[in-house]
Amino acid sequence: MRIVVAEDLYLLRDGMVRLIEAYGHQVVATATTGPQTLDALRTWRPDVSVVDVRMPPDQSDEGLRAALAARGEMPGLPVLILSQHVEQLYARELLADGSGGVGYLLKESVFDADQFIGALERVAGGGTAMDPAVIAKLLSSGSPNRGLERLTEREYSVLALMAEGLSNQAIGRRLFLSESAISKYTTSMFGKLGISADDDTNRRVRAVLTYLNKP
Amino acid sequence: MRRLGSWAARVGVGFVRACVVAAVSMLVPAVWAAAGALGIWWGAGNPWSWVAPLVLVCGGTLALSRPVCRMVRLLVARWTATVIPAGYRQAPPVTRMSTGYWWNGFSYERTRRDALLDQKWRIRWTDPANRRDLRFTGIVPLTAGVVAALPPAGVAAAVLGLGRPGTAARLVGALGLVVAVACAPYAWRLVEPVAVRFLRPSPAMVLADRVDELTAQRADATVAQAAEIRRIERDLHDGAQARLVALGLSLATAEKLMETDPERARALMRDARVGATASLAELRELIRGISPPVLNERGLVDAVRALALDIPLDVAVSADDARLTLDPPIESAVYFGVAELLTNAVRHAHASRARVCLARGEAGLVVEVEDDGRGGADERPGGGLAGLRRRLAVFDGTLEITSPPGGPTRVRMALPCESL
Repeated sequence: MRIVVAEDLYLLRDGMVRLIEAYGHQVVATATTGPQTLDALRTWRPDVSVVDVRMPPDQSDEGLRAALAARGEMPGLPVLILSQHVEQLYARELLADGSGGVGYLLKESVFDADQFIGALERVAGGGTAMDPAVIAKLLSSGSPNRGLERLTEREYSVLALMAEGLSNQAIGRRLFLSESAISKYTTSMFGKLGISADDDTNRRVRAVLTYLNKP
Repeated sequence: MRRLGSWAARVGVGFVRACVVAAVSMLVPAVWAAAGALGIWWGAGNPWSWVAPLVLVCGGTLALSRPVCRMVRLLVARWTATVIPAGYRQAPPVTRMSTGYWWNGFSYERTRRDALLDQKWRIRWTDPANRRDLRFTGIVPLTAGVVAALPPAGVAAAVLGLGRPGTAARLVGALGLVVAVACAPYAWRLVEPVAVRFLRPSPAMVLADRVDELTAQRADATVAQAAEIRRIERDLHDGAQARLVALGLSLATAEKLMETDPERARALMRDARVGATASLAELRELIRGISPPVLNERGLVDAVRALALDIPLDVAVSADDARLTLDPPIESAVYFGVAELLTNAVRHAHASRARVCLARGEAGLVVEVEDDGRGGADERPGGGLAGLRRRLAVFDGTLEITSPPGGPTRVRMALPCESL
């Protein structure tokens, strides 16, 4: 995969590049400011990019804004946002265009390199990778969506894990259920959410977006 | 009939009030007149006979000026609901020093009683309100006093005139009665504008009050800041710092065990990773408590929106200007204020829905937080709401709470323009 890394702190940027290259992917460009990030995303159209939220020149949400701008110009451009803190507000903004290929994780998710690279690959493939904290907060707040309130508790927890970006197999392991049981839950869940048969990745993304975008 | 009755009542009440105003405002002139009469009675030509009346005039005026002013303030507040701030200097607390002496803000005294007495007289003597009170006691008899004296004077004329034979006397008496009845409902009313104009605190007194207020606020802010810094230090010391030490220990042990017991070394490394994650989470919480990152990244309105999403409550946020920019300390105070109120709505009011409204108008910034909970919020000293009021007061901000039992609770935070 061709990857762009946007991070202003040298140590983190360097470590990230080394980690990504250790897994056999290619870092085509690095950026240290918001405008640089937008430029790099425009020029390279990477398979996926890793972007920090807070970057110079203003030390505000430059990185996030650059990523949103780039996705506005190139819909579905896969972006994985890494941050020291996660905010539902940002997660919603990232998911608002409904085109998938979005990740939003805490920086410490790189501690588990396998899982981090897995998330990166999922986002590159048009899926989502959301931090469990965002999902936990979504679970505990807001009023349930039209389709979502018809889900059983088990289907709901399957959906929550799906939003984290886990595969059926991984969800099965987490809930101590067989993979076929999980796929039964997902099928009935797609039916209740009114998501018609399509290719599986697309359905998963749409289910997750329904879930994360609830008002 | 009823109109006649109410008119009679108004005349009666007005007459009594006019008599009271006349009596109060003529108190000091009466002392002067008494002193004058005393001097003349003792011998107007002899200078020595004027010594005692002079002492009487000075002492009487000084002693009576404050009670007269207090009385007028009381009457105006009672009859017209116009509250005129007194603005007298307040006595600082008398404290006992380690030497056993009492300090009253001016001097050391041997006993508490002496200290209080000394303080009372010093404050009384140096109070800038004295000058205002003296001026008022001079002005009020010539204005409100004269007018308020009309009805009693009219009645007196009627009593004297009607009791005597002769048309002229009777005519004067009748005229007096008419004047008394006609002006009774209105004669006392002049006391209000006069009191408002001449009895309010002078600019010097307002400034002195403001200095006292600011001194208290500064002390408050300093204490609160120091406490906050100590809390952060304690959190870092017991949390992240201790965790990093444990992390270093695990890594050092793992390094040692790498060759002899690789399985245990790996387990230790895993522990170290978990420890690093935990300390990061702790640091994140700490930072959120000091200065929420989203506030730095997005400003107040989006930070409140982010907060609203995190609260387990249906919160609607509205702002007339999404890119509201304020000074960082004010943004922080307002943010934590809203956070406190929404937390209260969840924890105490058991609300299910809340509304936050941020508006920047001519007068300053107004933030309203309303919930549909069970209400009955009260402001205990040392409680969250009292703390919020204190934090807003640093910026001359105010806090208004309406929370009837049964709800809803509505809180309004207002920060004046000058401090924005």
